[in-house]
Amino acid sequence: MRKQLQEHIARLQAAGALYVDARWYPVEESNDLLLWNGNLKDASASRESGVGVRVLYKGAWGFSAASDLSNLGALFDKALDNARVAAERVTFPVRLAEKDAIQAAFKSPNQIDPFAVPLADKLAFLQAMDQKLNQPGVFQRICSMTFMRKQIVFLDSEGSEIEKTIVEVFPAIQVSGLDAQGVMHSRSFSPPRMGDTRGWETLDMDVFSANAERIVREMNEVLAADDCPKDTRSVILLPGIMFLQTHETIGHALELDRILGYELAFAGGPFVRLSDFGTLRYGSEKLTARADATIPNSPGSFGYDDDGVPAQNNLLIDKGLLVGAITGRQMVEEANAQANKIIFDGSSGANRATSFYRVPIERMTNINIDPGDDGTLDDIVSNTERGIILDGDKSWSIGSNREQFHFATDIGWLVEDGQVTRVVKNSTYQGETVPFYNSLSAVGDASTWEVHYTPNCGKGQPNQIMQLGHGIPVCRFDNVRIGE
Amino acid sequence: MKDQILQTLRDLRAYALKKGVEAAFLYHEEDSYLMRFANSAISLNTNEHLIRLEITAYKDRQRASYGLITALDNLDEMRHGVDIAAEMVQHAQPLSYQPTIPVYTESFSDESAYDPALATLSNEERLAFFNRVAAGLETDAIQLSGIFSCGANILAQINTRSEHTQYFKTSDAQITIVLSHTALKWEVLAEQSAQQKSDLDPDVLRRDLAFLVEHYQHDTPQQLPLGTYDIVFGPSAIADLLNFMGYIGYNGGLMKRGYSFLNEEHVGQHVMSPKFTLTDDPTRIETFPFRRDMMGMPRHPFPIFADGVFKGFVWSQDEADEFGAQPTGHTVPHTSVVMQGGDAAASTLEELVTMPREDDVLYIPHLHYMNIVNPSKGLITGSSRFGALLLKKDGSVVVPYNVRLTQSLLDVFGDKVAWLSQTQAVVNTSSSYGARNPRAMIVPALMQVNGLEISHSNPSY
Repeated sequence: MRKQLQEHIARLQAAGALYVDARWYPVEESNDLLLWNGNLKDASASRESGVGVRVLYKGAWGFSAASDLSNLGALFDKALDNARVAAERVTFPVRLAEKDAIQAAFKSPNQIDPFAVPLADKLAFLQAMDQKLNQPGVFQRICSMTFMRKQIVFLDSEGSEIEKTIVEVFPAIQVSGLDAQGVMHSRSFSPPRMGDTRGWETLDMDVFSANAERIVREMNEVLAADDCPKDTRSVILLPGIMFLQTHETIGHALELDRILGYELAFAGGPFVRLSDFGTLRYGSEKLTARADATIPNSPGSFGYDDDGVPAQNNLLIDKGLLVGAITGRQMVEEANAQANKIIFDGSSGANRATSFYRVPIERMTNINIDPGDDGTLDDIVSNTERGIILDGDKSWSIGSNREQFHFATDIGWLVEDGQVTRVVKNSTYQGETVPFYNSLSAVGDASTWEVHYTPNCGKGQPNQIMQLGHGIPVCRFDNVRIGE
Repeated sequence: MKDQILQTLRDLRAYALKKGVEAAFLYHEEDSYLMRFANSAISLNTNEHLIRLEITAYKDRQRASYGLITALDNLDEMRHGVDIAAEMVQHAQPLSYQPTIPVYTESFSDESAYDPALATLSNEERLAFFNRVAAGLETDAIQLSGIFSCGANILAQINTRSEHTQYFKTSDAQITIVLSHTALKWEVLAEQSAQQKSDLDPDVLRRDLAFLVEHYQHDTPQQLPLGTYDIVFGPSAIADLLNFMGYIGYNGGLMKRGYSFLNEEHVGQHVMSPKFTLTDDPTRIETFPFRRDMMGMPRHPFPIFADGVFKGFVWSQDEADEFGAQPTGHTVPHTSVVMQGGDAAASTLEELVTMPREDDVLYIPHLHYMNIVNPSKGLITGSSRFGALLLKKDGSVVVPYNVRLTQSLLDVFGDKVAWLSQTQAVVNTSSSYGARNPRAMIVPALMQVNGLEISHSNPSY
C-alpha cells in the first residue's frame, strides 16, 4: 500500500500538484461502553480504515477520501480535481512553512493495550464503578468508558513517512439527584491523568472508589443547598472547571486558522488579531500558558502532526503577554505575510485531522497553565476575603469571538474571610475574556496542577472531533459576576 | 445500486441466521461534497464517499453492536463484523428490560426526498452559486465565507426477524454564506436549505445579505444597555431554541431521567403560549423526513404542542421498553419538527423593519453557542450573532453589538410571545459530525417575544 500511495503522490506531482500527502489508516478502532442506572445502554465497537488525500494545486487545497481502496488512482484524481476548481478562487495562494522530511514512528505510551483486554473484564470494571455510585440520594448514575486506537501512516511529496499508533482510554462517572423543588443537579468525575502512560493500566479502581464517594457526598450537599448568590466576588476555579475555561477562552482563541478568519462562517473567530502578538496583555503576570504536545500521558501528545511536523512545547502567553498561537504549516505563512513580519517561526505542529476522511486543521494539543507560587488550594482560600470555589463543567457558552463567556458549574463553596462557609447550588459565573484573565490574582502551586482531558472537542467544517488535554492548576480571579 | 445494497443485507441476514445470531443491520452510505469559503477564497474543496454498517446482536436481554466502515463488495469483512457482534453480546450484561427487535411486516422504500440533480451537483455549479450570491457585495474589506454542503444519503435495514427491508434515500444541500468586515469584525449571514435542486435560489440569499450589509456598513454600532427587550427572533434562532426543547422538553426518556422542564403532569396542560403549535410532521419533505421509523412503525404527524397545550412526550423504542411507555415512532435519526406560523404579515427582515411599532424591537437572527444551564427549569444561554438590529420605535435602525440571553424556554415560547409570521421558513439544522444525516426544521419566519432580559452586552464586535 505504501508503495502505491507514493506512486500516486509522484503522479500528481508530475501533473502539476505543488504538494500532495496521503494519510492511510490501516485501522482505527473504538469501543464505547455506557452503563446508565445499571443498564448497559451502549456496548459498541467500531473499526474504520481508509485513505485521505490532500492536494495543493496553484495555491488551493483539494481533498478526497474513501474507505473503498479498490481504485486509489480515482481517489487521487478526485482530490486533484477538487483542488483545480478551488484554484479558480484564490486570494492568498497557500504555501507551506518549511519542515524537514522525516521518517519516523510514534507510539503513545501504554503498558496494556485496552483492545487486548477482554470485554468481560471491561464490563466488570464498569459494573464495579456503577455499584460505588448506587447510594442514597442518587437518582441517575452514569458510568462510561471509551477506548480508541488509531494507526496512521502519513506520506507526503516532500519525502516524509511517519507511522503513528495512538491509544486512548477515557473513563467517566456521573451522579444526579433531585432537590426539594424537583430540580436536577449532577456531579461528575473524570480522573486526571497520572503516571506516564495512557493505556488500560491507568484505570485505578481505588481512585474511582474514593471519587465516587466524594461526588455522591457533594451532590447530596448541593441538593440541600441554597442557590448561589447573584453578586460579584472572587472565583476560585478548581482544575475540573478551569480546564474548560482554558480550553474555550485561551485554546480556541489562539487557533491561528480562526485568527485568520477561516471559521467565520461557523464557530466564529477570536478577538485576537495578528497585531496582538507581542503586545496584548492577555492576563495578569501570573498567567503563563503553553501548548505542550510532549506530555506523555495526555491525548494532546501525538508525536507528529498531520503535516508531519514534530510535536513541540511552545509558550502561548508569557507572564500575561500574548506570544504564541496554535499553528500549522499553511497558517503561519499566511499570518507572517499578512503581518509583513515574522510572527511565527515555523509551524508549531498542531495540524490534526480526526479521521482519514477529514482534512487536518489547527487543533489544540495540551493547552496548559503553568503552576504558580500561591501555594495550595487551602493557602489560596485562606487568602480570599470574599469568594466562591467552583468545580465541574455543567454548561459553557462562549461569544462568537471568544470575547465573553458564561459557565455553570456542578458545585460552589462560598468563601468568607478565608474560610469555606457553605455549599451553594446553581452556581454560575460569566465575564469578558481579557478583563477576566487580567483579574487572575492567584495561581496554585504544582500540588494543585492536574492533567484533564477533552475527548470530544468539536471544530471545523466538515465537523471534526478531537482528543486533547489541559494541565491546569487552581486559579483565582477577582471581581467576577456569579449566580446569573 | 439499491438492489445490490438490499441483496448484501439479505446475504448478511442469511449468514447471521446460519450462525444462530439474532441481529439487526443498519447500512449507511453517503456521498458528501463540501466547498468551504474563507477570506473570499475556496479554502477547502472536499468529498467523501463512505459506507458504514452497524450490526446489533441480541441475546434475550443482552445487546451489543459493532460498526465498520467498509466497501459494498466486502462481504467477508461484513460477515466478520457479525461474528464480532455475536461474540460481544455473549459478554454484555442483561438489561433490566426486554429490548424490542423490530419485525418488519412489509418491505418499505422511500426515495421521494431524493433528487439526483441536487445529489450530483458539480463543483462548477457550487462555485457559480457562491459567485452569484456574493457578486457586488465583496470588497477588499468585506470578505466572503461559508459552505456549500450537498450530497446523497442512503439508509437501509434488515434483521433476522423477517426478510423484509427498509430503504431510505435523500438528497440535501446546506448553504451558509457570511460576509464579514476584516477590520471591524462585524459579520452577517444568509443561509438556505435544499432538498431538490429547484430549492436553490442564490438571489434570495443575495437580497438578505445586501440589506444587512447596507446597515452594517453605514450605521454606527452601539453597545446595548442591559435590561429587558422585545425581541424578534429570526428562523435560525427559533430553530436553535426548538432544537434544545427537543433535548430537555418533550423527550420521554430524558424526562424520566430528570433532564426535562416538562413532566407527565404537564400533558394536557396549557404550558406555552396559545400561539405555539409544534408538530413532528414527516409529511413535510423539506425536513428530509422518515415516514417509517427504524422499527418499521409508520410515522404520521405527531402533535407535541397544540395552541400551547402540551400533547405528549415522544418515545423511542428503547426508552419506551425501559420505562414501560408506548413507542411513538420516534426511533429515528432525526424528527421533522414544524412550528406553525401565526398571523403577522411580516416574513422578511425588510418587512419587519418597515412594520409600525410602539416600542423598540431587538432583532436577533442567530443564537451562537447555546447551552443548557439548568434542564429542569428549561434554562438556556447563548449570544446573538450574524446581523442583529435594534429597530427603534421612531423607525430608525441601530446596529447593536452582540448580547447574551439567559432565559427559560418556558418564557421564550410562553405567554411572552407577541406574534408569529404567517410565512414559515425551512432551517437546515444538519451537522457533519459522523455519518451524514440531513435534517431541517420548519419554523415561522419571525417570532416576537416581549420582555426578555439580556444578561451581557458586548462593548464591541
